[in-house]
Amino acid sequence: MTTTTHAHRWSGVWVGTALVFLVLGAPATADAYIGPGAGFAVLGSFAVIFVTMILAGVSILAWPFRTVWRMIRHRRKSKPLVKRTIFIGFDGQDAQITERMMAEGKLPNFSRLAERGCYRRLRTTFPSITPVAWSSFSTGTNPGRHNIFDFLDRDPRTYLPRLSSAHIGPVEKTLKIGKLRIPLAKPDIRLLRMSKPWWTILGENNIWSTIIRVPITFPPDKFYGAQLGAMCIPDLLGTQGSFMLFTTRPEDEAFQEGGIRVSLSRNGSATSFEATLLGPENSFFEGNPPMELPLTIDVDPESGTATAAISGTRLELRTGELSDWVKLDFKVIPGMKVSGLTRIMLTETGEHVSLYMSPINIEPGKPAMPISHPSYYSSYLEKKIGPFATLGLAEDTWALNEQITDDGTFWTQTQDVDGEREQMLDIALDRLRSGALVTVFDATDRVNHMYWRYIDEGHPAAAGVDDPEYADAIERQYIRNDGIVGRTLDKINDDDVLFVLSDHGCTSFRRGVNLNAWLLKEGYLNLKPGADPTQPWLQSVDWSTTKAYAVGLVGMFLNIRGREARGIVDPGEEAKAVKRQIAANLQGLVDTETGDIAINEAFDTDTLYRGPYKGNAPDLLMGYNHGYRISWDCASGVVAGEVFEDNVKAWSGDHIVDPRLVPGILLCNHEVSSADPHIVDLAPTVLTLFGIRPAAHMDGRPLLDKASLK
Amino acid sequence: MLGTVIDWLQAPLSGLPAMVGVIVWSIPVSVFALWVFGKTSNQDKITAVKNKIAASLFEIRLFNDDLRAIARAQWEITGHVLRYQGLALVPMVFILPPLVLLMVQLHMFYGFRGFAPGETALLRVELATTGGPRPDLAIEVPEGLHLETPAVWVPSLGELNWELAADAPGDYELGFTIGGTTATKTVSVTDRVVRLSPERPPSGFMDQLEWPSEPPFDRDAQIRRITIAYPEATMEIFGWSWEWSFAWMVVFFVLTMVFAFALKKPMGVEL
Repeated sequence: MTTTTHAHRWSGVWVGTALVFLVLGAPATADAYIGPGAGFAVLGSFAVIFVTMILAGVSILAWPFRTVWRMIRHRRKSKPLVKRTIFIGFDGQDAQITERMMAEGKLPNFSRLAERGCYRRLRTTFPSITPVAWSSFSTGTNPGRHNIFDFLDRDPRTYLPRLSSAHIGPVEKTLKIGKLRIPLAKPDIRLLRMSKPWWTILGENNIWSTIIRVPITFPPDKFYGAQLGAMCIPDLLGTQGSFMLFTTRPEDEAFQEGGIRVSLSRNGSATSFEATLLGPENSFFEGNPPMELPLTIDVDPESGTATAAISGTRLELRTGELSDWVKLDFKVIPGMKVSGLTRIMLTETGEHVSLYMSPINIEPGKPAMPISHPSYYSSYLEKKIGPFATLGLAEDTWALNEQITDDGTFWTQTQDVDGEREQMLDIALDRLRSGALVTVFDATDRVNHMYWRYIDEGHPAAAGVDDPEYADAIERQYIRNDGIVGRTLDKINDDDVLFVLSDHGCTSFRRGVNLNAWLLKEGYLNLKPGADPTQPWLQSVDWSTTKAYAVGLVGMFLNIRGREARGIVDPGEEAKAVKRQIAANLQGLVDTETGDIAINEAFDTDTLYRGPYKGNAPDLLMGYNHGYRISWDCASGVVAGEVFEDNVKAWSGDHIVDPRLVPGILLCNHEVSSADPHIVDLAPTVLTLFGIRPAAHMDGRPLLDKASLK
Repeated sequence: MLGTVIDWLQAPLSGLPAMVGVIVWSIPVSVFALWVFGKTSNQDKITAVKNKIAASLFEIRLFNDDLRAIARAQWEITGHVLRYQGLALVPMVFILPPLVLLMVQLHMFYGFRGFAPGETALLRVELATTGGPRPDLAIEVPEGLHLETPAVWVPSLGELNWELAADAPGDYELGFTIGGTTATKTVSVTDRVVRLSPERPPSGFMDQLEWPSEPPFDRDAQIRRITIAYPEATMEIFGWSWEWSFAWMVVFFVLTMVFAFALKKPMGVEL
């Protein structure tokens, strides 16, 4: 069928071409003209070839000078042991599940890789969470040296949470013309991860690296190589991922974790609706008003379909089907726009009409923020594979938690993002002749988080589990990873070193622990008289009598005088004593309802970390037992409620526990020297593989050397 | 019929400089060509191949230390460019025929200029037969024109040649009598942009397509064709005069490209 169509098409082209040449061949007057379309093709092609030749010429002419300059500036001190080192990261791939599936023969490529080299459990960081663990991977250091301790930090002046990995400040200098504000400088966007990542050190030694979606690379590092940033790249609204729900339903409670409800109103008929999408703030105008885009929806309730129009795009939507990427162009000023990408889904068309819109990703073709190095690397990838997700946490877990989307939609999102990532890996691997390559796949972590309730019998969130299609979602994800490993193994050479790793594992999250409620109960935290303890972000706390509080996901802070704005605990002996007392009380904390131990140990970060930034860490780190984690309320700074509560959200698996319970995995096509490797060992390992002595500040030890490669 | 329509559309432009007429014509032509291009080309494939070209260009920039990568990117670009041109061939099939018909008509207006009083030009009559003595052909020249020279007979070509001079502005008709049959040929002495007829062509599709201003001679007529060497038209571009009969076409080509480029986004067409 396809062959016939192609044959018809090509015979048509040839007949047409012959006709054109016949017409052109006869009247002399037409010889000079080929029309604007073909003219563009011809002239465009000449222009491309011309530009290419110039680029190539310049590159070739400059190459010897550049090479000499690099040799002088970044002289290699020793000989690399390998040509290429490749890391494939599967964020959150659990060691126990991996081992069981390998034993069952479900991961043949993992087994093949282990047989060629080795398989190990990989010790992770304290705490065992993505930003901390991958920062240790990047720098080869403990958190005390790279300064990333959690997703969130707290502002000691206000006690409010703030992003721990990046600072995004406003534009300081502007030219005011009436209501117009013309920025005269770039906004202050800084990566707060400290220490030097190994790819920067490789670059200093004239060795190329391609780093794709390694967490905590926003804004990207500047080094000899290419990098696509990942966690914590914001969405176009500047948040870490705010989905939108356009709905005719009356106002309900606000979404707990990050979603925006937008009212849909009727537009002249019973089946036509309209709304206004409030986009990013327009800093070109006084007061930073949001840029707007009108959205219209015409619904056919009988068929469950709708036609939506937004930003010049018309979409034919079917209930429950996620659209492809839709480009949204927000006009800043005439001639300037900011573009984003979103995916849209009709969720209901009956009595009420609702439309889900995923967080608006920064468009990679013309990014509004620095998401890659060099800046055109994201454009390059966009030209190669088409539009792709750029948001740090690209998979919309919040919408599934809020039951706006369902398991099927989330599965589609994760698999599509994974597919984009594998294409990037293929391109990078194909182009890498020597140097290092890292690609991190996030889907495993997200699938673990959201589908754990399917594999944990009796999980409080299992009540809503009614779709057997996703009962084996986690296994399917691991099998998909196995395919990626297999395809990569087929593409690498014998003298390449391949590592497959995960930063941590995963376990069940059945019960939440509200540490602030516990602190209140134990008298370490007090409320303002008459304050409402259900207020978020610790607004109800009386700081003048509070000794400790919990902010973020992993730890607890003391309210230390001179450090916190209204601190009352003296930093010396008193702080040590309070910390010791709290840690002792938390160690072995029993869940009164179940009788299980909720917290194995509260770790004193003063002894846990080394390095110049350990003062920024929480004072105590919670080592939760299997099944426990900080509660949702505590994570958003709510003091009210019981200390222990069931977790009934789709986010049913987690790894914010005692790190010893959730090791990651490490596979290599060579036998590594350590029986008990740690994620900090990988940075010194890759430096060693390229003949560079590991930096003195690195905490890890090389896992491979010249002898082990033989 | 096409000639009549073009005459009607061109009439308001006849008193304006040729450049203005070319600009005015290029706008609808751009819109038409863009529309056809959008409808008949594989827009998805064009977008894809252009993206690949752009990606390869990025690659040259990205891996500018790696000569092999540069060579590879260049090789890929060559392949993509050929494919891009192949994709542009399909819409050409649909755009060119109507455009060629239009261009031929416009060439009668913008390719040549009418005589100015005092100017002379070669008048050439090509007969159906060659060789032999000079045929008995009578020429009737209206007032406002005159012949500068007697007829020169070229037996090997079967041609009679005169030098024709213009005396006063006007649209004239030369009369020719040979073997009891008569024929005519228009001549314009004017400074306006009007339809000219440099050649009254012989019978035949291609000749008629190329010289559409006057009806062709019959297949069995004794006169095969009559040509008048009108001066080549001059395009005035920013004070620069370009005298060449195809100059308007170059300008037209550039303008249609510019307008197409400007309109491609509003019209949603990928070129």
